[in-house]
Amino acid sequence: MRNILLVIKHEIRTTIGKRSFWIMTFMFPVLIVALSFGSQLLAEKSFANEEVAGVLRSEAAAITGLVDEAGLILHLPPDVPAKLLQTFPNQASAQIALEANELDRYYLIPEDFRQTGEVILVVSDYSPLANLSSNTLFKYIIDANLIGDDALARLMIDPTPNEVFYPQAVDVQAEDDNGVTSFLVPYTTMMLFFMLISMTGNMMLTSVTKEKENRTMEVLLLSLRPRELMAGKLLGLEIVALLQMSIWLGGGLLAQGGGGQVLRSSLAALTPSFVLWALAYLMFGYLLYASILGALGSLAPTAREGAQFSFLVMLPLFIPLILNTIFVESPNGGLATFLSLFPLSAPTSMVTRLVSDAVPAWQPIVGLVGLAVTTFFFISLAARFFRADTLLSSASLTRQRLLGALLGKENQEGRPSRLR
Amino acid sequence: MPTVEISHISKSFGSTRAVDDVSFRVEKGEIFGLLGPNGAGKTTTIRIILDIFKPDSGQVSVLDGSLDETKKNRIGYLPEERGLYKDQKLETVLLYLGTLKGMEMSAANERLGEWLHRFDLYQHRHKKVQELSRGMQQKAQIIATLLHEPDLIIVDEPFLGLDPVNTRLIKEIIEEQRFAGRTIIMSTHQMYQVEALCNRIVLVNHGRTVLYGEVEQIKRDFAGNAVVIEGQGDFSDLPGVLQTRRENSDWHLALQPGTNPQDVFRALAAREGIKIERFEIAEPSLDDIFISVVKGDDEVEGVDNG
Repeated sequence: MRNILLVIKHEIRTTIGKRSFWIMTFMFPVLIVALSFGSQLLAEKSFANEEVAGVLRSEAAAITGLVDEAGLILHLPPDVPAKLLQTFPNQASAQIALEANELDRYYLIPEDFRQTGEVILVVSDYSPLANLSSNTLFKYIIDANLIGDDALARLMIDPTPNEVFYPQAVDVQAEDDNGVTSFLVPYTTMMLFFMLISMTGNMMLTSVTKEKENRTMEVLLLSLRPRELMAGKLLGLEIVALLQMSIWLGGGLLAQGGGGQVLRSSLAALTPSFVLWALAYLMFGYLLYASILGALGSLAPTAREGAQFSFLVMLPLFIPLILNTIFVESPNGGLATFLSLFPLSAPTSMVTRLVSDAVPAWQPIVGLVGLAVTTFFFISLAARFFRADTLLSSASLTRQRLLGALLGKENQEGRPSRLR
Repeated sequence: MPTVEISHISKSFGSTRAVDDVSFRVEKGEIFGLLGPNGAGKTTTIRIILDIFKPDSGQVSVLDGSLDETKKNRIGYLPEERGLYKDQKLETVLLYLGTLKGMEMSAANERLGEWLHRFDLYQHRHKKVQELSRGMQQKAQIIATLLHEPDLIIVDEPFLGLDPVNTRLIKEIIEEQRFAGRTIIMSTHQMYQVEALCNRIVLVNHGRTVLYGEVEQIKRDFAGNAVVIEGQGDFSDLPGVLQTRRENSDWHLALQPGTNPQDVFRALAAREGIKIERFEIAEPSLDDIFISVVKGDDEVEGVDNG
């Protein structure tokens, strides 16, 4: 036990003594906060009622001409600057202006517009992408003149300008955030857990391979049983992971006092019950992946060779990140539920669902039990790899060798010679 | 009771038999040489003694019985493939390794200061290991081996990478440890160091014991297996001669086991253009014996060592 404690202490001291650890610990939340504020600013710019014209204005990079043969456009909505539209008495004069590069496009509303609904857009240069550009500005102007009600026309552009978001997850407070939070919170949670587990898991891989690379392993094996070494490393880095999470959570709670609406509503998800679930999933998720990566490290002669396989190991945790939209759009859907109950993807998926929606009470429990059992299985498997002949081996890590070790067959240095 | 006693140990890796029925004893307070060419099975034998590997068969007794965790703390080991945590401070690394050997931090700290002073490393203790020269790192490794005052010290190539000054220092420390009653097993290719330091040796080749006993007795047994010649002419490629080398103005000839010096003399007499001023049956050096035994063994095995 004393040896395990010494290894734990050494791993913690070694890891937190690195500048890179602190840069990552503080830079990551800064990035998240920047993302939150950025999104908030974008949200305020994009969705605020009085700024509809701002969106429309963004479409009008240059002055647009108008030939109104139907006599439809009698006024411009107040949030559309008059200078954005230059009216011409007929198509010929508009065409002259276009050819003289005074404008790059003009709209022609034919006389029979009310019967046909057809509007002609004439542009100076053909561009395939031009066809993809939006005509929201002009539609808004036409709607306003057809209906005679500017407010109604605005609603036709954005029918739900005052959307209210009521998260159904337990203890999560509702916030009016125009839907930004509903995406940002799950995505941030998933990203945070993915980063935390993959970073600390990979620290385990690096820690083992480094001791092989710098040839301290042989001296250590005279002082420690291989499994003591593994336990010390796993627990030491677990504490580092918890420390990192605590710093991030603590920073988040401190930021609750300040920050913008999006940030505050995002942090409202940090309720005690959620934090407890998150901690449990983080602990088992970390142990699961760190034990797999530690086993990989015991077989790999160098960190570089180990890293080649680490992406494959992390893939089940990465898949929910790729499919993150399902956790926003349908957190209780079949795929999201499956991923949150499947032990290898549960650490990120379940926690993300817990902040996205009300999850049936049995699911986090079943997910955690499955994760715990799988973690126990993989730790036992990793312990089989943590033995002197693999730890002292400099044989290359190949798929065949990996498979052989998994099946308990001879490795390149010979048959397993298990220690104790 | 011997400090180490291994009896008929064997160890295979796959189809390779790394150690094959090796037996020897290491007595308390002696410096024992574990010798052999590269790949002979020395490191595997050491790892079996240290319980890093389990033998497939045979018995190992270390410090009066089977090796347990407490006894492991009474062993200091300097492996051939050595290394320290390069990105950590020297003092931190040595204290970590010392405490893993059962030392209390305060005691480790105190004793480390003494060793660092002795090895001229005290002023470098806060430097990262990678900032130290190779020789300094080598000395740091030796501190890690001795810091916890082990009863059994196993050193694999202890003079590797050291300049003559530090080689002498390490030699002094090894002798000092012996005088303090500690047992030392030393593996090295530097035969003159073995001759200078070791009481007894075992020579392993292809995993088997090919020579075992007291250094002086072995040299006496091999007397007649080497001759020294002073003269002019070509003394190479003589029948029954394993190796010919020139030292100053003398020619040293290591003879194959069973070759009589008189046969060599007759062969020289029959050779054209040879002028012999002195022909002497020499007491062979350990180097000669090593070559004689290993080459002779390889010839029996049909192995070409180049």
